[in-house]
Amino acid sequence: MSLIFANIDVAFKALAPRSSDWLSIAPEIAVAGLSLFCLLQAMLLPANLRWLISATARTGLVLVMAMALVPHAGWKLTEDVATFAGLLRQNLPFEVRLVFLFSALLTSFVADRFLRDRGAAVADYHHVLLVVTAAFMLLVQSNHFVTFFVALETAAVGLYILVGYLRKSDASLEAGVKYLVAGGLSSALLLMGMVLVYGSLGAVGVADSLNFTQIGNALAAGKGSALTLAGVALILGGAAFKLGAFPFHTWIPDVYQGAPTPTTAFLATASKAAGAFTLLLLVTGPFVALAHKIAPLLAVIAVVTLLVGNLAALATTDVKRALALSGVSHAGFILAAITAALAMPTVTAFDYNAEQTIVFYLLAYIIGTFLTTQALASMPATEDHRRPLLALRGLMRRAPILAGALGFGIGSLAGVPPTVGFIAKLLILVLLVKAKLWWILGAALISVAVSIHYYFSILREAVVRPTEDGQELAPLEVSFSARFVIGALAAASILGGLLILS
Amino acid sequence: MDTFPATLLQVAITAPVLIGLILIAGRSLPRSFASGFAFTGFALPAVIAPWLLVLWTNDATSPLQFRADGPWGFGFALNGLGAPLLAMTSLIGLAAGIKALTQDVEARNTYLGLILFMLGGTLGVFATDHLIGFYFFHEFALIPTFILTLFWGGEGRRPAAMQMAIYLTAGAMASLAGILIALDAANLSFANATFVNIADSLGTAKNIPAATGALVLFGLGTLASLFPFHSWAAPGYSAAPTPVSMLHAGALKKFGIYGIILLGLSSLNISQGTLGSWFLWLAVGNVFIVGLICLTQRDLKQLLSWSSVAHMGPIFLGIWVCGASGKAAGLDAAAFLMVAHGLSCAALFLLANAVRQRAGTYRLEEMGGLASRTPVLAAFFIAATMASIGLPGFGNFWGEVGVFLALRAQPLWIQAIVASTVIISAIYALRAVAATFFGPMSDGLARRLETAPFGDINWIERIAASVLLAASLTIGFIPSLITKSTNPVSTGVANFSQRTATAPAVKPAAPAQFLPSAR
Repeated sequence: MSLIFANIDVAFKALAPRSSDWLSIAPEIAVAGLSLFCLLQAMLLPANLRWLISATARTGLVLVMAMALVPHAGWKLTEDVATFAGLLRQNLPFEVRLVFLFSALLTSFVADRFLRDRGAAVADYHHVLLVVTAAFMLLVQSNHFVTFFVALETAAVGLYILVGYLRKSDASLEAGVKYLVAGGLSSALLLMGMVLVYGSLGAVGVADSLNFTQIGNALAAGKGSALTLAGVALILGGAAFKLGAFPFHTWIPDVYQGAPTPTTAFLATASKAAGAFTLLLLVTGPFVALAHKIAPLLAVIAVVTLLVGNLAALATTDVKRALALSGVSHAGFILAAITAALAMPTVTAFDYNAEQTIVFYLLAYIIGTFLTTQALASMPATEDHRRPLLALRGLMRRAPILAGALGFGIGSLAGVPPTVGFIAKLLILVLLVKAKLWWILGAALISVAVSIHYYFSILREAVVRPTEDGQELAPLEVSFSARFVIGALAAASILGGLLILS
Repeated sequence: MDTFPATLLQVAITAPVLIGLILIAGRSLPRSFASGFAFTGFALPAVIAPWLLVLWTNDATSPLQFRADGPWGFGFALNGLGAPLLAMTSLIGLAAGIKALTQDVEARNTYLGLILFMLGGTLGVFATDHLIGFYFFHEFALIPTFILTLFWGGEGRRPAAMQMAIYLTAGAMASLAGILIALDAANLSFANATFVNIADSLGTAKNIPAATGALVLFGLGTLASLFPFHSWAAPGYSAAPTPVSMLHAGALKKFGIYGIILLGLSSLNISQGTLGSWFLWLAVGNVFIVGLICLTQRDLKQLLSWSSVAHMGPIFLGIWVCGASGKAAGLDAAAFLMVAHGLSCAALFLLANAVRQRAGTYRLEEMGGLASRTPVLAAFFIAATMASIGLPGFGNFWGEVGVFLALRAQPLWIQAIVASTVIISAIYALRAVAATFFGPMSDGLARRLETAPFGDINWIERIAASVLLAASLTIGFIPSLITKSTNPVSTGVANFSQRTATAPAVKPAAPAQFLPSAR
């Protein structure tokens, strides 16, 4: 196996220019190829074999994940080569890719049945999903604002489609338009920021003032002006929009609620992860010389983000909306970890550095989110965007496995020991303690305590008896794939945390 | 070394958990089999744990006894403070289990399984010296408590369970932050995070943030219903089904205090400085303000719940005085009172439920004159009440007297307030006894007697109550059973707190006799 890969490596190196190490982006190429293959299948396969499309997509994603296990230097470069003429960052940890691949895989599982029940095309959904995944994976390793913007817009356009995917649903279309407008605004801000940085640094003689390395060097040499600072602020705002951090979080409840449930989960996990990693990449990469200015700002944003999401979620009676707002608080936890990494670059929690901690937090968040999403998506609803708390009543009787999924998922999102969500929060709290960020620590603890109220309300409705007059609702049928996803994720939600600490 | 007792200790903790797991998984197990099986789970610890306390040797060279290692800090061992608390928990567990077995509830196997989980978790807390184990078992016991209160509880269970969940999560989070900061300051990895190592390391650490002690005190204090973080407690105990009230008010809240002693007092000096005076004032709040609240209660179970909060006051004062002025007797008495209060409080909850089964209510004004119909129940109830207000002969007496004696060097006003509570608690407890058992029977009760005649308590209830009262009498007459194991701990803590207070420049010795590291 490794011999084959080594030979491919030699062949590529012989063919390609020295800096274009195509194997270093083999996972991205594979995912993009997979997305085209979905369309090809949709054209060629007869109707009774259409199920193969999502099956191949999933198999492909699992195989790409398995690439992490292949011992090959291609995606762990050791030579000091500017990959693709400095367009891409080197040595992206594979775990970062894993976050996006894992999220896409689970989205595919949830979406399959969900879309077929609503008569929507499965192949096109998978195509767009995989394009967005590949774009996110490129985005987080960009080392140049051109790659950055192209990857970001590729992902954004794909997400507009996924949000408005249920064309027959007004809510889905409305959410799509809202997301388009809000996303367009954030892209415009981002672009404006890039232009300011480009112009202000180019004017003082930086050769390629869109290249992260050169921007970093120029800022470290004190070449930045007030204009540069304004540009940096706008760029960080664009990343904060993706992450859903205060004050760029206002689009989240409406869009998450209106979007088809699988898209909501993908948006909540993959898009948030992209925001987290780009923010981390930017503040510890090109803008690291400004850390003393950025860190206090991020700290304030982290505190507000932690609190605002959970406080707003207290007042909602819609499950999807509550989970959307809770996602804002989760973004606050990630921001807290980023702030800790800025305040103390060497900070570690149980030997995991800030980036690894964020990866682990996101994986835990994915597990919790998809458990609840799978439960919601498996429940019939006349309108996908209305998931009132009351509709959960009697779930324990109707489908114990879905109530169990909610139990493990909500437990993990709320951070109840010993779930993986608790361990993830614990790691971030340790980072905060070590970096001595007491205010953020306080906000994080308050936020957890507040969140218990609505998380437990959801659980309470799910296990309370059907209705007060004792009327029983019909049992729900849960598909095999849903059972499989729930079983696997529930096991992961318990074992994951113990494994990482041992 | 004889490893048999260590194996027994493992059995005592794992048996309830495993049996609970099987009962929850086997929801359709036949009733008689489930009853016998569950009874095994309740009885095994109740046989083993008191025996381990008897076996306890007062030997300063091996303060961590019956040790058996396990992965991730889940190995078990008893320290001098954990041993009597483990025995107390196991006895409350037995009585609560007997009560639960007589109840006719929906989803009975799940109910019994969850109570066994709660018991196993509480036992686990007292049998671990490791912070991970402590935190893990603490949540392990609390989660079933929420579920049990929410589904099988009485009036007002939903708001009570929610309030309890929010308060206790907030407390758990605060204490977790305190624990993490302490670990960070002590520069310890998770693997070595035993209470002992933390006490050792923090004795010499200089960079402990001032807030650490406060986070531990207020976080764990919420669990132990420290004033003013107590307001969840009384509704929570009242709304819970009786076996859960017994375990929760009797045993679970004690592990908050256990943590305060082992982490806060012995490593973080919570009794000194500004935090120390806060601690004193809040403890006085428990004694006095909550005592006054008790006076206004008109519902028997509410009254018991509130008085269980008020009784934490002397315990906190004993802890405080040990850390503040190095009086080992204060901590000894507090530990004694923790055990004795657990027993008497559980007995009262048990007997109050027997009253309710007969009178059909907990409202005091709707009772009266029960003693003529149920003389044995009245005798048991009066005995338990006397125990809780500290009649000599029962364990509570030694605890309360010990705390008062330890406070003797304190300012007069503290002593006056504390002494007044003896009167207050006697007033509300005796008034409840009078309203329930004596005087003329209320009209409602008389009518009930015609429609649903009731008799005296049956032998099952007598056995359950006798277990608890006999244990209280035993330690009342043989107090050395408890003090032999707690005394080395309190002496160590007292010496330690005095050394750090008077000679901060000198490297303070680790709490000498107090749990030296076995690794």
